This record gives sequence, structure tokens and C-alpha cells, in this order.
Amino acid sequence: MVTMLAHGIGVELPAGFEGRIFKRQTDGPELPYAVAHFATFALPDGVGDFGSGAVTLMGEDDIFAVLFEYGPDSGGTRLFAREGMPRALSTSDFLPYVLRRGLPGQSGTQWFFTESERPFTLYVVLGSHARRSVLVPRANGLLARMAVGPQPGPPPPGTPWN
Amino acid sequence: MVALVVILGLVVVGLAVLVAGLLRSHADILKALHDLGAGVGDPSESPTADPSRDGSRPNRPVAVPFTMGPQLPPERNSTSAPPIGGVTPAGDARAVAPAGSGGLTLLAFLSTGCASCAGFWESFREPGRLGLPSGARLVVVTKGPDREIPGEVAGLAAPGLDVVMSGAAWTDYEVPGSPFFVLVDGATGRRIGEGVATHFAQVAELVRRAEGDGTGFATDARSDRMVGLDGPGRESDNDAELRAAGVLPGDPSLYPTSLEDLYGPPDARMPATDRHVRRAG
Repeated sequence: MVTMLAHGIGVELPAGFEGRIFKRQTDGPELPYAVAHFATFALPDGVGDFGSGAVTLMGEDDIFAVLFEYGPDSGGTRLFAREGMPRALSTSDFLPYVLRRGLPGQSGTQWFFTESERPFTLYVVLGSHARRSVLVPRANGLLARMAVGPQPGPPPPGTPWN
Repeated sequence: MVALVVILGLVVVGLAVLVAGLLRSHADILKALHDLGAGVGDPSESPTADPSRDGSRPNRPVAVPFTMGPQLPPERNSTSAPPIGGVTPAGDARAVAPAGSGGLTLLAFLSTGCASCAGFWESFREPGRLGLPSGARLVVVTKGPDREIPGEVAGLAAPGLDVVMSGAAWTDYEVPGSPFFVLVDGATGRRIGEGVATHFAQVAELVRRAEGDGTGFATDARSDRMVGLDGPGRESDNDAELRAAGVLPGDPSLYPTSLEDLYGPPDARMPATDRHVRRAG
């Protein structure tokens, strides 16, 4: 089992999943926040925040999940009132029209929440809505092994560079 | 003149000390081998000589523990393709699961310091000219940030190149050194090839062959369907081919009784060059 940890997001990946936890490179004054992509298929380079470039590659047995962090100014708003990431989704949470990009056969679910005082959205796509009874437990297996900590700050003074 | 003689004398003394040291080192090695039971004794003596001659040690080989590297976990073997977890040169987390990806994954184990890796880093700057099949993906694996400087890796890696810095992956895949390539078939979850190359064209050719081998009768992991025909579908397809060729049920060619029925008369099936040689002989 592979453990991933970056930008205050950690996960022990279940078998068959791969992932990427990153922050976008920016040139301007905007501040990038953490994005985490997890998939049961080969994640290509340059995937959009909510899976553009990846969801079209999904097979019927595939899962794609996004954990997307918003800026701290979103914290405390009604949209992010829910405390804690959902870790036990049900098959009824997935709907074919809850998709950033509607693709035949797929379905998705999206949740806004705050964890460790960081506002997030969780977006999960199933490759086949008809196979949601098989795929949702696998997605829950991923969510159960995911942890969000406080936003990591700069390293304390005196920390060795390597 | 006197100074020259003194210097030469010192050089000779130094060389004598060096030779004496080498002889002493050689003697120590021979003694160690003797203690291990390898090549012991005077070759002129009988191997059945009294073992108590040199004490109580019998004149037979001694088992010496010998390990090539860290032992693999019991659930793994030389063809398993475990997931790779590490960081990118930018400090992000990245995990790759070659065994679950469905297609072919080419893992290129490279380092920043090896001279023969430089050509590969350069080749990867033009992914369109690599010659890899469209369904195959390339992942570069370097050692972790404790052994490689992320800035140097970032400087060599082309934009968009999937790079994972993971020392554990080098152990998991038993990589002997860089450059080293491992090809994983995601459909079967197994390593189907690995080795060293000097040019990426050689690697790409092997990947193309592997893909060609797999397309004829491969399992599509995305849907667990057989890509090639099998069972009744294969049978009806064969029937259609035969009917199109004019071979109908009951045709005598379907019931051969001799090799001539299958291949025709011997003269007709002999290659032209063979016929010429036989006539000449």
C-alpha cells in the first residue's frame, strides 16, 4: 500500500488507485491551493482541476475522485458549513446529472465541507452508474484512508534543508 | 648528484614497502579463503588426507551466507508490478499504479548523474518523436530526494513528463543501476520486459512489439472482455471465412488423410532454391 502526503493531505492508497496531490504553478499574485486527484486508471498529465482530460478515459469499472481546496476566505460561509469530509457515500448520492462534464453512463457526486479549518469540495465520478453498487464501496475505501491536516506553514527556523 | 641518489633511494624504499603491503594483503586473502575451506591445502596432497592434520577442521566446503539484495516481500515476485509512491521534483505527491492502468506502462529508471542517462532525458523533451504506441505511457522514476536533488531532476525533466522520485521503487523493481527500463502490462498486472538500452529507439521498438503481441488475443482489463474472438464467435467466424473461400461442409479438404492432402505433392511444396540445389547435386 502506497502512502501519499503533500500540502496537508495524506492518503493510504487502496490497491489499484493512483494519485497526484499538487498545487498549480502560478505566475501572478494568485495563491494556489491544494488539489488531489485519485483514479483507478492511468492519470494523464495536465488533468483539469475537476477531471477534464481524465474522465473521458474512464472505463466502466473506473473511479475518479477530486479533493479541491478553496481559499481561506471561503471558510465560514454556508456552502462550507458541513464539518468533515464524507467518508461513507451511498449509491443514492450518485446521480448522472451531477457531472462537470456529462458523459453517457457516468454519474457523480459533489460535497462541500470544511476540515481542519480548510474549505474543500469532494467530487467523485463513477465510470458506470449501473455499476454503482460495486464502485461506491471502492470509493469509500479510498475516502476512509484519506486525512486532511492543517494547512502546512513554512518550515520552522533551523530546519535542515535536506 | 647526492640529492638525486637520496631521492631514488627513498623511491625504492617506498616501492618496497608498497610491494610488501600488497603481498601481506594477498596472504590475508588466501588465509581467509583457507579458513572458509575454499581451495585449501597443497594440490599435490590427496583430498582424503587426514583432516586432523591442520587441527580439527574437515577438508570440505563451508556454506557462506550470500545475499544479492533486500528480500522481496512474500506476496511479490520477479514479475509483480507494485505501485510506486513518491514525490515530484516540485514537491507534490505522486503515486502510479502500473498494474491497474489497463495499458502498457514503461518505467524509465534514470538518474541525474549517469552519463548514459543524458540522452534519454533529452529524448523525452520531444515526446511526439519517441515512437511509443499511443496506448503506452512513460513514467520516469528517479531515486528519492535523499539521493537526488529535486532541482536537478526538474532541470532535466521536460515539461509534462511524469516523474516520480522514489527510492523504494528502485528496491521494489530490483533495479541494478541506471538507465534501466521496465515494461508493465496493466491488463495482466505483470512485468513483461526489463533491461538496459543505449538509445530510446531500442526501447520503443520493444514496446511496440509487446503491444503487437498483446493485441491479437489480449484481455481488456477495463471491461474484462476478450479482445480477440473466442468460443462460438470464433467458430462462426472461421465458418464464414471458409464459405467465402468456397469451402463448404463436406469438402474433401476438410478431411485430410495424408501430408499430400495438406501441402500438395512434394515437388510443388519444395522451395525454389531447394529444387535448384537438388538438381545441381
